[in-house]
Amino acid sequence: MENISSLMHGFGVALTTYHVALMMAGVLLGILVGVLPGLGAPNGVTLLLPLTFSMEPVSAIILLTSMYWGALFGGSTTSILFNIPGEPSSVATTFDGHPMAKNGQATEALTYAFLSAGTGALVGVAVITALSGWVAQFALKFSPPEYFAVYFLAFASFVGLGGASPFKTVVSIMLGFAFAAVGMDTVSGSLRLTYGLNELIGGISFLVAVIGLFGIGELLLTMEEGLKFDGVRARVSPRKVFETCLDMPRHWVALLRSSAIGVWMGITPGGPTAASFMSYGLARRFSRNRASFGRGEPEGVVSPETADHAAGSSAILPMLALGIPGSATAAVMMGGLMIWGLAPGPMLFVEQKDFVWGLIASMYLGNVVAVVLVLATVPLFAAILRIPFAIIGPVIIVVCAIGAYTVANSTFDLWLMLVFGIVGYVFKKLDYPIAPLVLAMVLGDKAEDAFRQSLIMSRGSLSVFWSNGLVATITALAIVLLLWPAGSALIQRARPQRVRAPEAVV
Amino acid sequence: MKADDRVVLSRFTLEVVTALVTLAAGAVVMGGAVEYAIGWDETGPQPGYFPFRVGLVIALASLGVLAQAFVTHRGTGEAFVSRERLRRVAAFLLPVVGFVFCVVFLGLYVATALYLFAVMLGQGGYRWPFAAVVSLGVTGFFFVLFEWWFKVPLVKGPAEALLGIH
Repeated sequence: MENISSLMHGFGVALTTYHVALMMAGVLLGILVGVLPGLGAPNGVTLLLPLTFSMEPVSAIILLTSMYWGALFGGSTTSILFNIPGEPSSVATTFDGHPMAKNGQATEALTYAFLSAGTGALVGVAVITALSGWVAQFALKFSPPEYFAVYFLAFASFVGLGGASPFKTVVSIMLGFAFAAVGMDTVSGSLRLTYGLNELIGGISFLVAVIGLFGIGELLLTMEEGLKFDGVRARVSPRKVFETCLDMPRHWVALLRSSAIGVWMGITPGGPTAASFMSYGLARRFSRNRASFGRGEPEGVVSPETADHAAGSSAILPMLALGIPGSATAAVMMGGLMIWGLAPGPMLFVEQKDFVWGLIASMYLGNVVAVVLVLATVPLFAAILRIPFAIIGPVIIVVCAIGAYTVANSTFDLWLMLVFGIVGYVFKKLDYPIAPLVLAMVLGDKAEDAFRQSLIMSRGSLSVFWSNGLVATITALAIVLLLWPAGSALIQRARPQRVRAPEAVV
Repeated sequence: MKADDRVVLSRFTLEVVTALVTLAAGAVVMGGAVEYAIGWDETGPQPGYFPFRVGLVIALASLGVLAQAFVTHRGTGEAFVSRERLRRVAAFLLPVVGFVFCVVFLGLYVATALYLFAVMLGQGGYRWPFAAVVSLGVTGFFFVLFEWWFKVPLVKGPAEALLGIH
């Protein structure tokens, strides 16, 4: 009940004209970056971040989260109309969304996508509302060893559940930690890993890394694929939208299942992309009309969209309550929190009630605003995609450069952005996961501090990570996840004899 | 197979090269860490403690990636990039590098106008008057947006100094 009254208080904070205007601006900008190839939610939020430094934290976070919702919606629009996923997390939407649009059901596909996305997001926010107070209470018991164990768990789950080569995931995470260590050491004041370069004293900003890795890297990939926009003309007729709305309750099983998957993947750092693929896969497996999947099955649009947005919104919960972002975009926002002078973590719920509950309330409102705005502006944004790439491509690059420069007013960052761009391109092509690298850059200093403080507490003994039931459980879970790939590889190796035998008979 | 589809870089080669680069990065991190003490003193881990171990893990994991490359990608003939694709990437990337050069020496606004004009002319196949109008228009829009509206000063060069809008 306490949560409900806090939430009502939050609505009071969020429902001002200024904040609603920010929401609408954020959603529109978000749809724009979601629609444009190469600009996605993580770097959209990154580019906007320097402009929020002078704002109130609560206004700033409302603007940024609204942009996040908008970007998620924008990504679905291009998936359906152009078969080009504007966001990695909307790849699964192309499987059935684009076929539907080609069959002349573009309006239905878009409406299904937006409504299920909105539903998923609202479920995610409802879960945050219900759990955040409790998680924060729980997290207040944490001391440095618990924090380090939770960070360890977050990174171990990338290794264990990420699906990429575990070695590549480890390389990616550790490179992130190495980048985070560059510059002034927060404890001793030593200048680490600068090799005498003055530009590196301030450290490498994760914002520049995100713009390079996600922005430039993604554009290079898009260019390599050879960009072809042959979209389906979109005319959104209100009557069809209304009919599709009435049809939505029929898909309640898919909605529930996908929301559950999304919320789970968002809270554990699986991320929206993994959630949408998993949800699509499960929907196809359990569907009665499995054969029509891939040819324009509404459930094939509903499932990935619901999970995508449920994951996107619930990723905010661990960010607020524990200081561990559940997605790359949440990592950027958490970096923003620290820049605004707020310490993410359980104390936020005690000291910054306005901020936390204003944000949660704005998530309800922002998603409703986003559904309405995105439906209303489909033709506009579809038209933007018809601007030739020879114009829009350089404009995107200029925006990225402006974003990288404004982080620290340093031209050195522009070169860094280029290097990160090439790294991002190569890493993506070789299946190195990029989100863990960003997460490690954001969490690097905090993780190192937690580690050092723990060892100071225990006078250098690693046994501090087993010193009580709580920290021991988290550490044990993390080690299990870390060793998961090795374990499953061993099982696979033990199995082939049994699997191969029948083949030999045939 | 058309000449354009020829593989210029195999996946195996690039897997190996990338693993060697990250291996070197690990070594560089370790090298940087040993400039400071990497062990213990009475206050706990010294400044180099964490980075040194991070560098070590990067190096070890890179060796793992290297081994995996030989097991899974060697002799598969899998392409990293074909000639035509490499050409497309280069055609996009090289002007970007040129743009960053121009930003550093000429300032962001002049660089933006030049970059957009060059790409529209060279790759978009537009006539020069149209390209000039669009590139100047976009540059002007960015100038108004950032210098006047957001009050975020961006990189200026000799041209702005000449015009006295520094």
